[in-house]
Amino acid sequence: MPELLEVRNVVAGYGSGPAILNGADLHVSPGEIQCIIGPNGAGKSTLMKAITGLLPIRSGEIRLMGERIDRLRPDQILQKGIAFVPQERALFPRMSVRENLRMGGYTIRDERELKRRIDDVLHRFPILSERASQHAGTMSGGQQQMLAMARTLIVRPKIVMLDEPSLGLAPMIVQQMFDIMRQLRDSGMTVLLVEQNAVVGLKNADRGTVLDLGRTLFSGPARDILKDPRVRELYLGKAAA
Amino acid sequence: MLASTLQVLILGLALGGVYALMASGLTLIFGVMRIVNLAHPIMIIAGAFVAYWLFRLYGLDPILAMPIAASVLFVIGVVLYKLVFEKEAASAKYSEMTVLLTFAVALCADGLLGALFSNTQRVTTPAYATDAFIFGTVFIPKGQAYAGAISLLVIGALLAFLNFSRFGTAIRATTQNRAAAQLMGVNVGRVSLITFGIGIALAGAAGALVSFLFSFFPAKHWEWIAILMSLVVLGGMGKLMGAILSAFLLSVIAAFVGTYFGSTWSTMTFFLALFVILLVRPQGLLGDRQEEA
Ligand SMILES: Nc1ncnc2c1ncn2[C@@H]1O[C@H](COP(=O)(O)OP(=O)(O)OP(=O)(O)O)[C@@H](O)[C@H]1O
Ligand SMILES: [Mg+2]
Repeated sequence: MPELLEVRNVVAGYGSGPAILNGADLHVSPGEIQCIIGPNGAGKSTLMKAITGLLPIRSGEIRLMGERIDRLRPDQILQKGIAFVPQERALFPRMSVRENLRMGGYTIRDERELKRRIDDVLHRFPILSERASQHAGTMSGGQQQMLAMARTLIVRPKIVMLDEPSLGLAPMIVQQMFDIMRQLRDSGMTVLLVEQNAVVGLKNADRGTVLDLGRTLFSGPARDILKDPRVRELYLGKAAA
Repeated sequence: MLASTLQVLILGLALGGVYALMASGLTLIFGVMRIVNLAHPIMIIAGAFVAYWLFRLYGLDPILAMPIAASVLFVIGVVLYKLVFEKEAASAKYSEMTVLLTFAVALCADGLLGALFSNTQRVTTPAYATDAFIFGTVFIPKGQAYAGAISLLVIGALLAFLNFSRFGTAIRATTQNRAAAQLMGVNVGRVSLITFGIGIALAGAAGALVSFLFSFFPAKHWEWIAILMSLVVLGGMGKLMGAILSAFLLSVIAAFVGTYFGSTWSTMTFFLALFVILLVRPQGLLGDRQEEA
């Protein structure tokens, strides 16, 4: 099967600072949930910013369905079909839930189509539907994460990228998030996520990639990575015990 | 007594409208680009000069000259952004640099206008500038009444544009969270360019009103920097409604202070307000502490 997203030997850093990514690789196949794990500061978020064009890369290449996307702006990359929820969620705090969803469909110019898609998404996320006119900034962490995820679905992207979607959420909500991700995958979308809690992340994913010091260490079926003694020792630590 | 209180209130509100118009462009620019535009007041003076010359040469009413002044200043804003700020936006020292850059722009524009037109006091004199509405004992100069009303109209149009148009929504989104706006498909570079143009155009529009409200000269812009800054800070840095409400609030207070303590104190109101805000409520009237850095 052709790779949907391919990251090859990417080097990137902030401003004129040191390289944070030192030859990172990533292969994402269509229709899978892939989970990136690695210690704090490994460069997981940086890799996501590089893919989505928020951080320019210094060398290497990033391809979506064979096409280079590493010189495009974030808005152009979205149009190619990659949607991203960063670690800090990136909501518009002083806009209502509905307005946030409208912004999610900023690139959709057909007003009726946009309304239909917003209604679809609200139907799928009843929590948001109840709060459609509440300001995003006043919602709970879990609700905000739901909104951030829901918002990416308006444009029906090929890939949804989520940076630590479970951050600060109660275990029950975390399970809901993963259930939604599985639904997305089953409806044909591809999910790429970063997870701090490697066990939870890998258990819910199809494939895993381990990143450390800006390099890709291993990549493979999530189940194998969970069992891999090197990974257990290095990155799962107490959590796996 | 009651009549004079009413009169001071109305005049304060009318001038408040003009201040709100001046501050709106500044706030918009700060909101989207985090540029503290110290050159904003000199752009207002430039707008006043456009209206002045149209009045002198063609007898064009300064209120009718508003759209022309705004258009001229829009172009100046866009060119300025392209020349001075666009490359800088990528720099890590961006925010410190922009203060220096806008200060330099203010100096240059001040010098240029001074060299071209000299620092003599000027004013446009449409008929209404020396006329007044009189209701019993309440006396409202027509110039101020018109300027206030038209400022409100322009601000209303601006708010409608920001809240109901697609591009306006993109501007608001970029103000609230630049990276998020990019991730929603907004080309924030283009939004910045156009917003800078609109902000400077609003300064030009305000300038046309200033041309008959006050006598003006290039170096006068220094007086306005602190006034406008106090409005933007009190409004909560980059929050448009905050700046507009602050403009009315401070302008009314200044009008009463001016009436009871003399006009020197009227200007001092803004300076004092700036100090008090920074000490007591640095996030401004409508700002909230947690949000943004
Ligand atoms: N905006 C930035 N400017 C400069 N350095 C940064 C910036 N963001 C991250 N870094 C640095 O890049 C390195 C990798 O950070 P990154 O956020 O990618 O790690 P991470 O793997 O996502 O970690 P975490 O699990 O803590 O989220 C860190 O050393 C960090 O200090
Ligand atoms: Mg991270």
